[in-house]
Amino acid sequence: MIPSISSSRFYRASYLCYVVLFFIFLITPLLVVAAFSFNDSLFPSLPWNGFTWDWYLGSKEPRLGLFHDDALLESIGVSVQVAIVTTLASLALATCNAFLFEREQFPGKNFLYVLMLMPLVVPGVILGVSILVFSSTVANWFEVQFDYDFEALRPGLVLVTLGQFAFITTIATLVISARLRKFDVTQEEAAMNLGASRLTAIATVTLPFLKPALFGAGVVAFLMSFENFNTTLMLVGSDAPLTIAMFDRLREGSTPVLNAVSVLLMVGSACLALVSLFAQRPDKQ
Amino acid sequence: MSAEPGSLKRTQYRLGFWLLLAPIVLWLSLLIILPHIDMVLVSLRERVASRQYEFSFSNYTEFFTEPLYWNTFVRTAVMSIVATALTLIIAFPVSFYIAKVLSGKPKMALFILCLIPFWVSELVRTYGWMILLRETGLVSGALQWLGLVDQPVEMLYNDVAIMVGLIYTSMLFMVVPLVTTLDSLDKSLIEAGYDLGGSSWHVMKSIVIPHAMPGIMSGCIVVFMLTLGNYLTPTLLGGKDSLWFTEQIYTQFITRFNWEQGAAFGILLLVLSSLIVWLGLKITKQSFTRVMS
Amino acid sequence: MSDQAFALDAGAGVQEDLACTLLSKHFGEFAAVDEVSFSIPRGAFFSILGPSGCGKTTLLRMLAGFQQPDSGDILIKGQSVLNTPPNKRPVNMVFQHLALFPTMSVAENIAYGLKRKGVPKREHATLIDAVLAKVQLPDYGKKRIDQLSGGQKQRVAIARCLVLNPAVLLLDEPLGALDLKLREQMKIELKRLQREFNTTFVYITHDQSEALVMSDQVAVMNKGRFEQVGTPQELYYHPKTPFVASFIGDSNQYVGKVQGQSGKTITVVTEHGVRLLSQSSEETPPGSRITVFIRPEVMQISLGQPEAEQDNCLQVTVLRTLFDGARSQLQVETAEGAVLTVALPQTADFHALEPGRSVYVSWQANQCLCFPVAPVTRPEAV
Repeated sequence: MIPSISSSRFYRASYLCYVVLFFIFLITPLLVVAAFSFNDSLFPSLPWNGFTWDWYLGSKEPRLGLFHDDALLESIGVSVQVAIVTTLASLALATCNAFLFEREQFPGKNFLYVLMLMPLVVPGVILGVSILVFSSTVANWFEVQFDYDFEALRPGLVLVTLGQFAFITTIATLVISARLRKFDVTQEEAAMNLGASRLTAIATVTLPFLKPALFGAGVVAFLMSFENFNTTLMLVGSDAPLTIAMFDRLREGSTPVLNAVSVLLMVGSACLALVSLFAQRPDKQ
Repeated sequence: MSAEPGSLKRTQYRLGFWLLLAPIVLWLSLLIILPHIDMVLVSLRERVASRQYEFSFSNYTEFFTEPLYWNTFVRTAVMSIVATALTLIIAFPVSFYIAKVLSGKPKMALFILCLIPFWVSELVRTYGWMILLRETGLVSGALQWLGLVDQPVEMLYNDVAIMVGLIYTSMLFMVVPLVTTLDSLDKSLIEAGYDLGGSSWHVMKSIVIPHAMPGIMSGCIVVFMLTLGNYLTPTLLGGKDSLWFTEQIYTQFITRFNWEQGAAFGILLLVLSSLIVWLGLKITKQSFTRVMS
Repeated sequence: MSDQAFALDAGAGVQEDLACTLLSKHFGEFAAVDEVSFSIPRGAFFSILGPSGCGKTTLLRMLAGFQQPDSGDILIKGQSVLNTPPNKRPVNMVFQHLALFPTMSVAENIAYGLKRKGVPKREHATLIDAVLAKVQLPDYGKKRIDQLSGGQKQRVAIARCLVLNPAVLLLDEPLGALDLKLREQMKIELKRLQREFNTTFVYITHDQSEALVMSDQVAVMNKGRFEQVGTPQELYYHPKTPFVASFIGDSNQYVGKVQGQSGKTITVVTEHGVRLLSQSSEETPPGSRITVFIRPEVMQISLGQPEAEQDNCLQVTVLRTLFDGARSQLQVETAEGAVLTVALPQTADFHALEPGRSVYVSWQANQCLCFPVAPVTRPEAV
């Protein structure tokens, strides 16, 4: 079962086989998506008609490449905007939460903690729907009371950002709390003992210690926001983030330009992954 | 004399505490609690005329009297449970392999390899399966090439396709907690189990699985939740007949603009998911906070 | 406790770097620190020695400002610091686990306090180099904390405080994490540093050897109170309470009844029925219960009846030899069944003392200590 315990060769070989098959299962869909972005055909399917860069660089319909497809590029821009705002907001709140749960003692703390975990077990669609319902209730109330149309509370990017923020904060809080738990509080006392005020101590000693976690949580938050579909679907207005735009195209019938977008996403994610691995390395030594 | 600075300090501390407490309370109340309460309220009303509503259970009675809704609901729940169980069965040996059989660099490499697919969007992953499974797709082509079939076969738009997609999409959320908990299991415990005469099966059942239980539960809860609330995979891989409950919610809200009915469906789905998660925790005697963090 | 110096005299206040008066701290019903008063002369190495849980850490944290006393006052250089927050107090602390900042280099750690103090940046390098030279870590400024050994970290933690020229340096058991050899070296090193910087050190520890070797003055603390304050020699040779007698050094302890007293010498019969002569500074009425302390090293072993007249002389049987180099001991048993531990000189005479052999142990009455109290259990075997 484990290397120090002997087992039959057949058992080990079949176990290895299983693991290999598992990884083939994991990797194949992505390879296929990537490969067909270079297929010289109008459809991302067999037969293979040869290699082309058209789905990246093509400038004319029907072979409009990714880098000339304004609608797609615009939706990437929208996604990036939403993701940046969501990431920054959720990191800020998550850091506060981490300090609250790790440092303070107060009645109802456990209850609040369970409540804080709730967004993880609410399905994304329902989270989106509930925020949609509530925001329009509030917006309607404003309209009736003050005859003012609260634009931000109607489906659109503000609601999308709020909806993503609602559950990404929980994940960021868990990541940052875990790191803060490892922090030796006497370091803050040492800083105060050396003349720092409480806030200076936190800024100069605690936050640098949290940096890897803040970075890690930031990357995760950015990706989760960028890739979010369920919550976004319910709250989206006229400006579509990338996932929604791709979904609409997929339903219409896809061209390999979607494969090209996918490859771009893979490359982007891989870069983020590498950067985050690299950034966390010095910490582990 | 000493009481004064003490109390001053306490006020400062209190102020800091309230400043920390305020944002989380705002977040949870405005984005989680109030929206859900409002959704309950909306689900309990019926439109009698334009902008005129009455308290009513009609949205819920509608659900129980219309077999389509009811069937979709049960089907979604059952398929989610099956998908969760299959994900666990597939992921466990792999996680065990990574956590306990491998060590050092290969272990890290394989673990990261496990994560890679999930750095890209669920949409891309599902799209990959569409390319593989569709009539003109790779699997169909491969079968023809092998001579197993003599014409293209459509493998999309059926329950198996949905299941494959759901399992694939959820895999990460099972593998990560499993590897983490299995990793924390001391190898010498397994060795001791053997040393004391246990068989592989017995050691697995009495040492490894009890130790991994928090990880198993946390993986199962997250996978179940994601599956139950999934919209993308059933819609794209299951086509028009996928009959997934989130599609009903989407239809009510966006297509038919019947928010009251949609809210009722949302509440029902939420109740279902909470109930099954709660049951799972009860049966395995795990605590929610421990499992989730 | 009568000898505790009180810093109420205004004239004396100037000569003292640190003084406390009637300092108390309670956690609920539990008195962690109970009306402690002391004063430390300028430039002294002052240790607070006590078992874990005696309140010494709480006392130190009150001095540093991390805990507020319930009552009493703390004076640093004659000024009360009760209303001074920890970051404004002229004391610095070496933490138990050092609390060096892992995200900063050695030089940045040392510069941390200078920055907070507003020392101009151009002076930092000189100050840092000077203090690193003094702790014998020249050119270590660029190193990361995790590149240092345990002893080097220790020096950096001390340098980080001493660069600020504090009135008082507090040290919270900083040697606890080091292995034995290094700990011995650091004891000498700390003493040297204290001399060199001429700063008042307040050192808390549960290790008597650390306290005795380094300190000018030691306070023995127990259950929130100071049992005795004095030089290491005073504590060792003239303990004032049974706790101090049993906590510092090894002792054979016997509970017995007083039979009679003539002058300062009393006759005691222990529970085993052994008759002993002991000295007592206090009046002990016959029949009262007392505890007698006899240090292993005051007893002399002889193979035959000792020639010189000794107040106490017992014929005993060897039980076993506890060999520990120069600290070797012999366990012997009296005819009545009382077990004694005696220091065993490593001379040729005693090399062949096998169990069962009959020997004599003897000592003078004035080398015993006795306290008319309920028996105190030894806090730890040393």
